Amino acid sequence: MNEWYIVAQVLGVITIGFEFMSYQIKDKAKYFLTTGIGSFFWTLMFVAIGLAMGMNTQLSLIIAATYSTVRNLVFYRTFSKNTAESREMGLIFLLIMIVVAIVAAIVVLPSVPVEVRWLHILGLLAALSFVIGQYLPGVHYVRVTVVIYAVVIMLTQTPLNILYGDFRWNIMGILIESAKIISVIVFYIRFASNSEESQLQLAKPF
Amino acid sequence: MFQIISDGGCDFSKDEAKKHSVEVVPFYISFDDVTHLKEGVDVSKEDFFKRLMADKGLFPKTSQPSPQDYIDVYTPHLDAGKDILTLTISSKLSGSHASAVMAADMLKEEYPDRTIILIDSLNVSIGQGLILGEIIKMRDAGYSIQKTTKLAKKILTATRVYCTLNSLEYLRRGGRIGPTTAVVGGILGLRPILQLEDGEVSQLDSVRGKKNAMKLIAKALVAVLKDKTEQISLSIGHILSEEDAIAFKSEAETALSMKIESPITEVGVTIGSHAGPGALAFAYCGRYEVFERGEKA
Repeated sequence: MNEWYIVAQVLGVITIGFEFMSYQIKDKAKYFLTTGIGSFFWTLMFVAIGLAMGMNTQLSLIIAATYSTVRNLVFYRTFSKNTAESREMGLIFLLIMIVVAIVAAIVVLPSVPVEVRWLHILGLLAALSFVIGQYLPGVHYVRVTVVIYAVVIMLTQTPLNILYGDFRWNIMGILIESAKIISVIVFYIRFASNSEESQLQLAKPF
Repeated sequence: MFQIISDGGCDFSKDEAKKHSVEVVPFYISFDDVTHLKEGVDVSKEDFFKRLMADKGLFPKTSQPSPQDYIDVYTPHLDAGKDILTLTISSKLSGSHASAVMAADMLKEEYPDRTIILIDSLNVSIGQGLILGEIIKMRDAGYSIQKTTKLAKKILTATRVYCTLNSLEYLRRGGRIGPTTAVVGGILGLRPILQLEDGEVSQLDSVRGKKNAMKLIAKALVAVLKDKTEQISLSIGHILSEEDAIAFKSEAETALSMKIESPITEVGVTIGSHAGPGALAFAYCGRYEVFERGEKA
């Protein structure tokens, strides 16, 4: 086995760790930092796979993962600075991303076979709802949308790839997406078991 | 007994100030940069907010009392042989504290035997009002000005103020949020929750919908105060939204199983021009007895 492939598995395990941790965090800035670090290792994982299998096979995934890393870090800065300017910039960044994704979809979708076009649209909607959900206030939107996103990604991209009946059994891909879903389930079990825990964090007087 | 003076940031009503023998030095409001009106004297809070609602292009400016305003209020009490304790709005939000400092410096030579103490509340509105309430209690309990000051400085570190807004419009008018945030936040029906942290206003969170906001806030209050209801004072304020404030008070009292002693306060212009009508504020602070017990321990 190519040693880069082993490195990729190690990076994938690190990604799982960060992804799992991030959905246990209520604070938006800390969430974005943790998931941003996770996305960074996710990017490195694809680079390692690229080194093992040929970079051209992984290029689109590397771009997508880099995009995800940058987005998370921009949002981290938005929420950690928490100023009017940073929030305005974060929101403009989000709107630009939405527009870019829609334009890209309009360009790409006509070349996709008709029978699987709906799956691509589903993927786009899942990705958009997740990105918007990340930005929305509170703890619920991001967790609900990430579960939808993870399920769609598992079905259409990473492991099962039902798009063309090409069942590439990518264990690491399944684990990464599963980690997100399991983390959300764990979060809600913790949330439900501590009914006095508040979504809104006020400061203690002393 | 010493005289307590506060600037208008405390949002005490005239009746409350009179009842507790507190002198309030009002802030100024200007709608046109030419005429400066005294809040509560030349223009009522209600008139101010109704005018703000009527004219969407309006962003009135508030300005701090001048040193001379403080001198005018201080002098009769100093002449009467009283010492003075002044509580001002956060110095990070207004120059009121600086004006009071200048006034006190100017009067030092004239009244060398008198004590003038100035406390920067690092708070605003009902938060400042709660601290003022504790100072009143200490004065009425016969505490010296020095002891009251020492405890008041501890109380202000344990005072928290939060405010949830009905609209993002007034934050936008005041330049506290950008136009994109205002438009998108408006479409999504977001109600930002602002907090006062280290004397400055920042956004704590956003919540969708008024009912949801009130429910979340009541739950959050329980989370931080449930074991401390005997040790804290709580206050609720509003801007042209008394019904919501009454409903919220009742919800908070039930959730915390405590009686909120402070009357529901009409929030003034210092915070109100940024928050706008429909805003709901709440604040809590540690009671002076808690800090006194801590000192003895």
